Amino acid sequence: MKKTWLRDYIIKRLLYAIFIAWAVLTVTFVMVRVGPTSPADKYLSNLAAQGQDTSQVMAAIEARYGVDRPIYEQYLNYITNLGRGDWGWSLSTSMSVMELIKAHWIYSFQLIFLSSIFAAIIGILIGIYSAVRQYSKTDYIATFFSFIGISIPNFWLGVMLILLFSVNLGLFKTYYDTSLSLLSLANLKQLILPVITLGTGMLAGYTRYTRSAMLENLRKDFVKTARAKGLPERTVIGKHVFRNAVLPLVTIIMFDLGSIVFGGAYLTEIIFGIPGLGQISFNAIFADDYAVVVAVTVISAFLILMINLITDITYTYLDPRIRYD
Amino acid sequence: MTNRLKSTRSITRKVDRVKNLAFIIAMVLLVTTLLLDIFVIEMIFDLLTYLYIALGLLFVRYGIPLLYASRRLIQYYWQRAIKNKLAVGGLVFILLLILLAFIGPLFTVDPTAVNFDEKNLPPLGFTIEESVYKIETKQFITSRITGTSEHPLGTDDKGRDLLAMIVSGTRVSLQVGLFATGIAIILGTLIGVSAAYLGGKTDNILMRFTDIMMTFPFFLLLVFIVFIFGPNLALIVIVIGLTGWTGTARLIRSESLSLRTREFVMASKALGASDRRIILSHLIPNVISLIIVIATLSIPGVILAEAALSFIGLGDPSVASWGMILKAGQQNLDTTWWVAVAPGIMLFLTVLAFNFLGDGLRDAFDPRSNI
Repeated sequence: MKKTWLRDYIIKRLLYAIFIAWAVLTVTFVMVRVGPTSPADKYLSNLAAQGQDTSQVMAAIEARYGVDRPIYEQYLNYITNLGRGDWGWSLSTSMSVMELIKAHWIYSFQLIFLSSIFAAIIGILIGIYSAVRQYSKTDYIATFFSFIGISIPNFWLGVMLILLFSVNLGLFKTYYDTSLSLLSLANLKQLILPVITLGTGMLAGYTRYTRSAMLENLRKDFVKTARAKGLPERTVIGKHVFRNAVLPLVTIIMFDLGSIVFGGAYLTEIIFGIPGLGQISFNAIFADDYAVVVAVTVISAFLILMINLITDITYTYLDPRIRYD
Repeated sequence: MTNRLKSTRSITRKVDRVKNLAFIIAMVLLVTTLLLDIFVIEMIFDLLTYLYIALGLLFVRYGIPLLYASRRLIQYYWQRAIKNKLAVGGLVFILLLILLAFIGPLFTVDPTAVNFDEKNLPPLGFTIEESVYKIETKQFITSRITGTSEHPLGTDDKGRDLLAMIVSGTRVSLQVGLFATGIAIILGTLIGVSAAYLGGKTDNILMRFTDIMMTFPFFLLLVFIVFIFGPNLALIVIVIGLTGWTGTARLIRSESLSLRTREFVMASKALGASDRRIILSHLIPNVISLIIVIATLSIPGVILAEAALSFIGLGDPSVASWGMILKAGQQNLDTTWWVAVAPGIMLFLTVLAFNFLGDGLRDAFDPRSNI
């Protein structure tokens, strides 16, 4: 009974995700078409301004986008090309968008990964501590700082960290060094400031969520029962309260990954010069390189969609009481 | 008795009709001027002005009567909210900020005035050392520059007064924050309440649509649209408003679901009230406290989104917003650090103030809720 229900649910969610993916593709296509200038125009005028011959580029673009063909054919082309993994040609970097993204995604990934781990571990620990010691001095300090952490604009925090630690104290380099191997200690060191920049807001959020979820569960009857049985406080908090509080927390962390982190990670990359997806789409915006902007937007949207899908399915699997319908 | 009741009712109806008529006439006038402005004459006002007038009219016609109708409730909550010192502090800061946005520009110099003789001046009380290369003597001359009271926050690398820039940026940030949130709240409330009240298929369609909108990554969508259509403050406000209503719609829907089956709604229905009347005069007044809390808590996100957009270079180049100043400051961090510090502090304090106020209001309205 349970198995078939879960399978139906997964199929339903998958279909839904595919529908939204299609909607994202369509919306981006329509917007590029409706937009005041066509991708080629903007780029060509830039080239012409530099005094270069545009006729060859023009021919290549026309062949690629099929600007003269009817709109539905262009649309079908767009969808099938993306489906085949052909994301277009980046005019500003002279390589295919797929190659560009393959070369750069890892930088975004390491930043997001490390920041989430950092924020989740510290945020949850502080949250548990301040819930257990509610109304203590530590609790007040933690609450106050989490308020500040939520309110501080992360791009400004990044700039201030650079100003303090890199410009004034000289502890870190102001620019990201791509020649270092990703798994080296030196690379970890240069990621410290970016991780703090991206992680602070998340950390503050998780502290608050954990605290309120723990407090809510601490009031429950089963906690009283557990204490009455004479269990040590550590077991009560760790097993009875935390395990119940952590499940909604996982969803929040995953949804955060989707909605907030991507925007924040891109900003952080731009501030610290980390050559991830945010940086390349930032450069593409200035170079009017449509293919890259479209690809980064669509890929990020797909990733967010996937993360949400996985979260929903895991959550329903772990806690069968919740049936999204 | 019945006669008197009837006569008061007919008077209220007449007043209502006059109000509606006045509102419609004003709206039609506004749209006609807008169309004339776009197609016949050169633009007299920019698009944003029209948007503001339209939102203002909506507020006068629907917002004020709604607030007036629930004045006792608001007064009661108000007395609970002012016990929270942080919330009051936040409110005072916001009011000062609004005052600054309105009358500040009268007291500051022109924020766009470039003066290279006074470039890179540090804030009052700070002294920096600057090395200047003199062509005549072919050597570096180190001079000490101290901040002057003429430019209390210093100047940037083009000699523009930072204080004046910050003040004019206040206007931009508040405009975006208040008006984009205004649009989002109106949309979210209407969609949420109608979904809850009408139920069935309408509810299903509206909520599925909300789900789809929610899956779109908001900031990426904003960046994408602004990239395609060009940076323009009106566009930014409208896009944030049109995409930011989803959370509101969900919360308002779940709140109104329980209201729908309450006795006073049933009674009103039994008396033959129209759907529009029930939604406008029974459902919305009962969720107004929730609306106020959501609005207060969503303003900071909107202000930050605009600042982030300006920061990555997609802000409206014709207005100096805080994000734009911050961006300029970041590029010259090693020489004029104060240009990056000041707008960030303003952003931070503004966001903090709205968060404090929103939290205080939420606790006053419903201490157990977890919006």
